Amino acid sequence: MELLLSNVSAGYGSEKVIENIDLSIKEGDSVFIGGRNGCGKTTLLRVMAGLMDFGGSVTIDGKDISKMKRKNVAQLVALMPQAGEMYFQYTVYQTVLLGRYARSNGLFGSFTTRDREYAKECMENCGVYEFKDRLLGELSGGQLQRVLLARTYAQETPFLFLDEPGSSLDIKYRAELCDYLGKWAEGKTSTPYGDVRNTVVAVFHDLGQARSICSRTVFLKNKTILADGPSSEVITPEMLEEVFDFDVAGYIERQVIVR
Amino acid sequence: MKEQGIPDNRKTNRKAAGIGIVLSLAACLFILLLAIRAGSVYISVSDLLKIIGSHITGRPLPAEVDPMTDSIFWTIRMPRAITAFLVGGALSVSGAVMQAVLQNPLASSYTLGVSSGASLGAGLVLLCGFTFSGLEGFMLPFAGFIFGLLTVMLSILLASRIDRSVSNQTIVLIGMVLSLFVNGILNFMMTFYGDRSKQLWLWMTGSFSARNWTHCAILFVTGLTGFIILFLLSGRLDILTFGELQASAMGVEVTRTKVLAMFVAALLTGVSVAFAGVIGFIDLAAPHVVRKIFGPSHRIVLPMSFVYGGAFMALCDLAARTVLSPREIPVGAVTALVGAPFFAYVFFAKGKRKI
Repeated sequence: MELLLSNVSAGYGSEKVIENIDLSIKEGDSVFIGGRNGCGKTTLLRVMAGLMDFGGSVTIDGKDISKMKRKNVAQLVALMPQAGEMYFQYTVYQTVLLGRYARSNGLFGSFTTRDREYAKECMENCGVYEFKDRLLGELSGGQLQRVLLARTYAQETPFLFLDEPGSSLDIKYRAELCDYLGKWAEGKTSTPYGDVRNTVVAVFHDLGQARSICSRTVFLKNKTILADGPSSEVITPEMLEEVFDFDVAGYIERQVIVR
Repeated sequence: MKEQGIPDNRKTNRKAAGIGIVLSLAACLFILLLAIRAGSVYISVSDLLKIIGSHITGRPLPAEVDPMTDSIFWTIRMPRAITAFLVGGALSVSGAVMQAVLQNPLASSYTLGVSSGASLGAGLVLLCGFTFSGLEGFMLPFAGFIFGLLTVMLSILLASRIDRSVSNQTIVLIGMVLSLFVNGILNFMMTFYGDRSKQLWLWMTGSFSARNWTHCAILFVTGLTGFIILFLLSGRLDILTFGELQASAMGVEVTRTKVLAMFVAALLTGVSVAFAGVIGFIDLAAPHVVRKIFGPSHRIVLPMSFVYGGAFMALCDLAARTVLSPREIPVGAVTALVGAPFFAYVFFAKGKRKI
């Protein structure tokens, strides 16, 4: 299965945030998307999940994503959003269980025992099971992020799009996240379209995290793709300086030496 | 994994919710009975049951029941109390849905201009004497309903023209702007028909006096239909409270679900406003109280909002007709006077659930 973007542009209002993007994500890939603030990383993820209007074409398994039913897309692609404000006080467990919606059947979309078991497993993987009955409003930023991560896992999709999944996590949970994703990316997920190898596309600001999970790196700059290739070849001091407009490698080195 | 996937205290949670639902239903029945019985004419529960029984089974009224009592309770008090209950229920359900769909705890159908539209419709009938033949007795509710719904549809249509994804902010803003505009038209009209404005004012502040079984039947059928549609959407409404982007990512057809839910909710409000005038506050308060007790899951919030809103409205109407008897207070004033402090107490009292 392949996710293919050709000549994609998208933005908000008349302002284009990304332009002329050609990108192919094959099943089994683990892709890091990097770049400066506002370079269109989040927009790119949203377009790839079919969540906003765009020009050009995005296909998944040869099908136009904007013409697919949302439920069918959500059986293949899960996107973990950056945490926003929660007005309605669901419990952690209720929230994670809602992630099963696209996999549920029937008029009511009732949840089965398998749905509950799967949700429980996801909660355990994210370390949120012990406070499953707490309300969303009672959680810290890091806890909420882990709950959203668990809900995203609960969708049971082969394509996982993560938008800064570790930004509020402490160093232990970050390490666990990387371990888990690394292991997950080796596996397969059975979908209504057959078994598909697991695929991660993630935005990180922490380059170490990115390196530890993603074998492929895509850098965005000036609304389009600046570099795309194996992480070991793309993440070089020269490239980082070009992407971030300053001496990243030197900065990291100085940080380490001062300590 | 040895243990079942069902979290441990799910059963106790369910049990607590079950007890809560049973208690609420009992309280609601008690309030309905109270609303029917209280007043200047006394009736015993057994007589009331005899009256209801005779009308339902079609058997003649037992001799010990005064025909006068029968006519007071069967033709005046019962339809009135039941209309109040149905209106309260319908308003609360529509409020709960609007709050979820618009992700805004302060939203209701009124936000989209139902009330101002309905008032304009009623104004056209009352002030200008505008009428269709054959609809004379029902011209006021009819015009109120049509204009209320038209205003909401116009709001949604305008919002979708400006913003293809019909985002919440756009809807709320358009709804408010349109409401003010429509209010402006009504105020403009009122300057020409000042003498008939009192009548319009009475309609606008809400009343359940002189409601009959036909009103009940219309309300019941539309209310039930709307409720069933919304109840079937309850899973999607849960997901929509997390925002459009997340809902879409989780597999919900956001725009379609939103427009359908808003339309049905507006229909419920429209019917209510048509038969009872503009009664505020219940649509806002009842769902909040219910969420505080039962949590935000719509499978429980929708039916319980109906029960709580209905009971609260029946109680407010009871107060409206008895407190200053024989004078009647506009029921819209009662809902706000009784409801606001109660709501403040519930909202600010120490509790686990914020919304």
